[in-house]
Amino acid sequence: MKLTSQALNLDWPEVDRRICRFIKDYVEKSKAKGVVLGLSGGVDSCTIAALSARAIGGRNVLGLMLFEKETRRTEDVRHAELVAKEFGFKTATVDITRTLESFYHSAPIFKPTDKLSKGNVKARTRMIYIYYYANRYHLIVCGSSDKSETMMGYFTKWGDVAADISPIMDLYKTQVRKLAQHIGIPEEVAEKPSTPALWPGQSAENELGMKYEQLDLILFGLEHFMRTEEIAVQLHMKKQLVDDVKHRWLSAEHKRRMLLTAKLEYRTVGADFRLQRNPL
Amino acid sequence: MKEIFNVALAQISCQQADKAKNLTKIKRIVAKAKKRGAELVIFPELSLTGYVVRDEIYELAERIPGPSTETMEEVAKKNQIHLVFGMPEISAKTEATLHNSAVLIGPEGFIGKYHKMYLPTHSIFEEKRYFRPGYETAVFDTELGKLGLIICYDIYFPEVTRLTRLKGAELIVCISASPGVRRAFFEVLTVARAIENTAFLAFVNLAGIQDGLQFWGGSRLIGPSGRILVQAKYDEDDFVMGEVNYPDVRSIEAFVPTLRDLRPELFDQLKKGAEEI
Repeated sequence: MKLTSQALNLDWPEVDRRICRFIKDYVEKSKAKGVVLGLSGGVDSCTIAALSARAIGGRNVLGLMLFEKETRRTEDVRHAELVAKEFGFKTATVDITRTLESFYHSAPIFKPTDKLSKGNVKARTRMIYIYYYANRYHLIVCGSSDKSETMMGYFTKWGDVAADISPIMDLYKTQVRKLAQHIGIPEEVAEKPSTPALWPGQSAENELGMKYEQLDLILFGLEHFMRTEEIAVQLHMKKQLVDDVKHRWLSAEHKRRMLLTAKLEYRTVGADFRLQRNPL
Repeated sequence: MKEIFNVALAQISCQQADKAKNLTKIKRIVAKAKKRGAELVIFPELSLTGYVVRDEIYELAERIPGPSTETMEEVAKKNQIHLVFGMPEISAKTEATLHNSAVLIGPEGFIGKYHKMYLPTHSIFEEKRYFRPGYETAVFDTELGKLGLIICYDIYFPEVTRLTRLKGAELIVCISASPGVRRAFFEVLTVARAIENTAFLAFVNLAGIQDGLQFWGGSRLIGPSGRILVQAKYDEDDFVMGEVNYPDVRSIEAFVPTLRDLRPELFDQLKKGAEEI
């Protein structure tokens, strides 16, 4: 297998169709009134909102813009509104600054310089708002995590990844960008550098240590059972770099699974209680 | 025996773990097929229960013959028609062992069954966790000629279809629950199995979505020359009919005599090769 950008190319109309069917089918089976999602103005959430609107109609899709003073960027608001207008879905804006500040002031151990812990509070607070809207309006939560960040564990446990369905979780970031372009997301959104917006100036690629174009090919190789030696040779990279990506992928498995418990009894939740996922 | 007859490919989506709903749907489609002149109606793999039922399979499985096959026998008798469908079977001998089975019922009642021989247990498939594999191919003498039954992943192993053909089946029925990511494989394999065995092949796949798995439909009746005679839509429920014309088998077997040219000694080598992997 050759690790080139061509390897990540998919039949985009087919992918578009399959994801839309998936969303529509789940919403219908769950008897929900639609979907709600966190709309950051980035490529993942804009793409998911647009696909949802195509799948079930824009009036059944609510994009929640959950901004806060430290990370709010005018450009993100403009992009979210641009895509909402283009694809005809609903939006609502909530400023979560006061909720966050209330948490900061009430947690005795709060340490402002611990960026990561503080950032995770933001992601989890956004999740609480999204699920509140879902409960109030009988909507399902549509996640917008992609495969690159999910494999790398580049998300907040029980935070941004929390959702009822995650329709693009099997697409790498560079594939999401291609899909975005295919469905008509404006290029300035489709190509915008990604950020989880946990603190000002945060850049996904800086934190992941490489461009998504490289990372996605490493992850694609790992997905296809390739050895790190083979991947490194093909991509003209140091093996250590590929090993580091593999290590990060494997060590984040705890973030992707639910409810590990001690095996004590006959059948155990999360282990060998194997049931169908019933959305009803 | 009829030399020419119509087959209905009943490509349905199933309600997971709801046999009553699925039987209602099946009954409605059989009545429609009868009205349209079909003599055989084929439903997908595990169409009685849905494919993704996981641990619920233990409760859903039934003996064959059993309550659901008796219902299907009534349907077949009432409509004077042949039916093939899929269901999880619990062994009458052990009362504890499950099979992934295809069932053939005729206008006079139950004719026979087949236990899936190749149980996929890789990727998203977990069939060996639940089912015991079958050990025999299945060919049944009927008014519609010799019908052979195979199930889904069996088609990746040409020896299953070959053995079925060598037992005399001129129409091989492959019921399936194949998700979209496998479509490219099946589109080739179904045609190849028909050509290499100079037989009719009726492939009937599930439609719809179960636990995120999107079954691609695309059911087809393929003639012995590999020509797709009729094909159902991709992904959605559909119902199509095609004509089986056994004289075409004789014609193509004269044109490309794959059965005449079989080399039995190679099968011994094949066995040895497989044992030495």
